[in-house]
Amino acid sequence: MNFKPDEALLMAYLYGELQGEEKVNVERYLLEHPEAVRELEALRQVQSIMAGITDKEVIAPPIVLDHQRKHYFWNTSFGKTMLGIAASLTLIMLAGKFTGLHISVKDKTLAIGFGESSSDSPAEVATAQSVLTSSEVQDMINQSLSRNNESLVAQWSESQQKLDESIRKNLASYSDSQFNTLMKKVSAASDEQIRQFAFTLQADNAQMIKDYMTLNSSDQRKYIEELLIDFAKYLEQQNRNDLQVLQARLNSIEQNTDLFKYETEQILTSIISSVDNSKSFATKN
Amino acid sequence: MHAETLPDMALMHSDSLVERARQGDRNAQGKLVQLWYKRIYNYCFKFFLDHDMAMEASQKAFISMCRNVEALQDVSRFKSWLYKIAVNSCREEARKVKNSRSLSFDHVVNADAEDSPAWEKAVRRNENPERQYQQQELSDLLQKCLMELSVEQREVVIMKEYEGLKFREIAEALNISENTVKSRMYYGLDALKKILERRQITKETIGYEL
Repeated sequence: MNFKPDEALLMAYLYGELQGEEKVNVERYLLEHPEAVRELEALRQVQSIMAGITDKEVIAPPIVLDHQRKHYFWNTSFGKTMLGIAASLTLIMLAGKFTGLHISVKDKTLAIGFGESSSDSPAEVATAQSVLTSSEVQDMINQSLSRNNESLVAQWSESQQKLDESIRKNLASYSDSQFNTLMKKVSAASDEQIRQFAFTLQADNAQMIKDYMTLNSSDQRKYIEELLIDFAKYLEQQNRNDLQVLQARLNSIEQNTDLFKYETEQILTSIISSVDNSKSFATKN
Repeated sequence: MHAETLPDMALMHSDSLVERARQGDRNAQGKLVQLWYKRIYNYCFKFFLDHDMAMEASQKAFISMCRNVEALQDVSRFKSWLYKIAVNSCREEARKVKNSRSLSFDHVVNADAEDSPAWEKAVRRNENPERQYQQQELSDLLQKCLMELSVEQREVVIMKEYEGLKFREIAEALNISENTVKSRMYYGLDALKKILERRQITKETIGYEL
């Protein structure tokens, strides 16, 4: 009798999701409580009214997916961090390489430097100097000096030798024998040969001049001939021109005389006519 | 509940399909989208009462489904898992809309004009067009009643009333206890009763209207 279903149970009952004892209990409770039945009825009413909502018809649009994104190590945040660290380390190492960075720990001292390492030599020299005594240093200096001198002397003597040798060679090359043979050749030439040489030279010269003269005279002749022809042509032309001018003058004179004749004739006829007129006038009078 | 159409029956027996999709079969995934799109879209539509937002949310839900189906542990829980994705997608979309202060042009456009081609497509020619129209009108009216519920109650009521999920499945989808689901359902129905009373919608008025 004390059983009273809560909302959850009622809902489960309403939607038919109750089974077994619980369902029986709820049903028994409903038999005894009509107000609960009314309430359930009201809810069923709501259900049936709300069932009036229809489904919308819809067609599934194409769903476009990008290709399966693979999770590579370098795409994860951890991978990116690691790559970043590695890249910066490489960068630092490269920078160190190019700037010649040196970091060394020696005798409890940390040395950081750029450029060529010169740290080892001064240290060693310092230690070496501290070990050497002054006499040893003197010895070393002497030794090096004497070595230097020796080498200088050796070089000097070598160069001296070379010089001597070259002079001697030059002298040898300018030996008398060559000079003598030249002189001998010159003296061996006989007078006959010389004369013959002069004769041939003369003949050559004469021939050359003759050729030149003939060539020259023929050229000149040709030139003068042309000149004469031109001059003759010029004279002829001049004559013709003069004749033409004379002809023209004569023509003009002829014309003038004709005109003059014509005019005089006219004058004469006018005089005659006037004389005749006067004569006839006189006779009439 | 929804009618037992052929695709619905296919949905009931889609365990092997889900299994194939889970193994990365793209065809199976596409088939799942086709099978479930209408249900998820209708869930989203009832949640928003807005076609564009419902399309947006359901598409996002299915993209998420295709991406994550391979990680699904239990094939038998595919349904509640899918609704869980849909619920989250809807909530996210609602939050986005709430946050964006821009005015959408979609709200300016006459909603009826936008709905009409879809409505026409859905119409079976041999049915009485007037009755069809009244049905649509009633559906819209009831939908508005549904929108008056709180988000929590609305989610539960849609999933129970229209999607036919079991209380256990709803609890899984919403990540809450079964009892909470049931009590939300109860208060949801109670609230709907009051809303219907206030709007004077009763079985009789509906019958008269129909």
